[in-house]
Amino acid sequence: MEELIEILEDLQPGVDYENVDDLVDGRYLDSLTILSLISEIEDAFDVEIPTVEIIPANFNSAAKIWELIERLQEED
Amino acid sequence: MSFFSPVFAFVFIPFVVIVYNLFPKKLRAAVLLAISLLFFAFVSRWLILYIILSIISIYLSGLGMQAIEKKKKEVLKTVEKDEKKAVKESYKKKKKFVLVMCIIFNVAFLFMFKYFNFFAVNVNLLLEYFKVGRSITIVKHLAPIGISFYTLEALSYVLDIYYGKIEADKNIIRLALYVAFFPQLLEGPIARYQDTAEALYEGKKVTFESFTFGYQKILYGFAKKLIIADRLNIIVKEVFEDFNSYNGISIFISIVAYTIMLYMEFSGTIDIVIGIGEMFGVKVPENFRQPFFAKNVSEFWTRWHISLGLWFKDYIFYPVSLSKTMKNLTGKAKKKLGNHYGPLVSGSVALLAVWLLNGLWHGAGWHYIFFGLYHFFMILMGNIWEPSVAKACEKMGIDRKKKGYRIFQSVKMSILVFIGELFFRAPSLAVAFAMLKRMFNAFSFRVGELFELGMDARDYVVLVFGLIGIFIMGILREKGIDVRENISKKKLVTRWLIYYALILLILIFGAYGQGYVPVDPIYADF
Repeated sequence: MEELIEILEDLQPGVDYENVDDLVDGRYLDSLTILSLISEIEDAFDVEIPTVEIIPANFNSAAKIWELIERLQEED
Repeated sequence: MSFFSPVFAFVFIPFVVIVYNLFPKKLRAAVLLAISLLFFAFVSRWLILYIILSIISIYLSGLGMQAIEKKKKEVLKTVEKDEKKAVKESYKKKKKFVLVMCIIFNVAFLFMFKYFNFFAVNVNLLLEYFKVGRSITIVKHLAPIGISFYTLEALSYVLDIYYGKIEADKNIIRLALYVAFFPQLLEGPIARYQDTAEALYEGKKVTFESFTFGYQKILYGFAKKLIIADRLNIIVKEVFEDFNSYNGISIFISIVAYTIMLYMEFSGTIDIVIGIGEMFGVKVPENFRQPFFAKNVSEFWTRWHISLGLWFKDYIFYPVSLSKTMKNLTGKAKKKLGNHYGPLVSGSVALLAVWLLNGLWHGAGWHYIFFGLYHFFMILMGNIWEPSVAKACEKMGIDRKKKGYRIFQSVKMSILVFIGELFFRAPSLAVAFAMLKRMFNAFSFRVGELFELGMDARDYVVLVFGLIGIFIMGILREKGIDVRENISKKKLVTRWLIYYALILLILIFGAYGQGYVPVDPIYADF
């Protein structure tokens, strides 16, 4: 989780990632930033995020993104 | 049939509701489908054949893909672990084949009706240039209504099945009603199967409450169109048709007027669609969310024509940027450009694809393609500049969250959007550039000039008050205050007083009758 927050901080600083729960809906992350984020996550956690998983519900908070990573790691 | 005609609002809608309610719940979906197809046939006659073919194609493809998926699961149970990958690949290929065939089939109709002539004209120009003594015959034909809207809905259905997001529908009536629901045929919004199909099929009775609640939204749509859009149309028509007779400020006003008119016409139509949906207990997705409050062009497109933006994001942007080729490109780019700019490379390729298609979706013409490229450029630049702007603001001690800065951002964004919409409205690229040039070269201003644009003092006063009203509603919605819910909770007398006031406002201040030309349904042509 800490590593994920570091990645997020690096891509889009100045957001309270512990508490914000509308990262996509609140426009903290736009499509291009999400693309960078996906690429970072795939490298750091050795998972592949399929297109169908790229929905606001999976990216609206750091916790949700973490849930997605864990789920994809298990499925692997 | 225009949604803004009295016949549609006061005869057709009540008639549909009465007929629909007369039937038992089980039959209502079929009745609504029959009405929708009749509506289609009334506008587009025999071209109804094409929407029926589209529906059949996605119905069969959906079932086909589902059958392949089922077979795959059965086979996977019987094979060894090391063979599983090959089995999965082979079934994936089969599924992809069905998907691609279905997409080609549907896009072919779209191409034939919308793009063939544009393609032919440009190929003929090339043939002429190279002095080849042949040419492609230009065929004049009308396109079925809403083909650009229903085709994207149809494609989203098969794509969602392919991606495993939804199950194929075995019930063709439910599927057909999702694609052909009459209010959505003219100008969308492009709903997803999950948004409306089930609720439409349920056949909920239209109650007095759902009818009046829906009608409230319809009246608001009428107000936007009749009080504001049709009034602004006077300026737009006047100046765009003869811009050389006007100087810079008038041209600027007409450009701003056009964007506001487009917003009022399009969002007003969507209000009507949503209102009709609410009568039948269906939540048609919202297509606008206070677009002019956006910080930048990229955000503007998440608030304007939302359903189209989401469609491109889900089915073009992410699939392209996350394809294998693009991922390899991202990997290489990251090594050279770092983590922020590396993924931007594949992102920009995908973004370019999105905006080229977005331009083309709006129409077959170079000015539409330019409109798309213009937005691609603005969004990309915004993204590239963002880190530098953030740093510069920090150095200068500017708080980007302060109201003053936010207003500055919205004004800057609006000006960029106004220019984009100029390319959209102008009959050709050359005219759009000529208008821009004249706007700067012949810049002068006299107060009296405002009254030479076809509107009188009363028109201006009504317009200003109308826009203030819409602006206040926008602020309330932005703050999460649901005005409509609040009104519906009021006592019966107060509620009806508000409805009557709105009807009176439209009747008194609507721009109809002598001297006014109503705006044609702009998006219905796309």
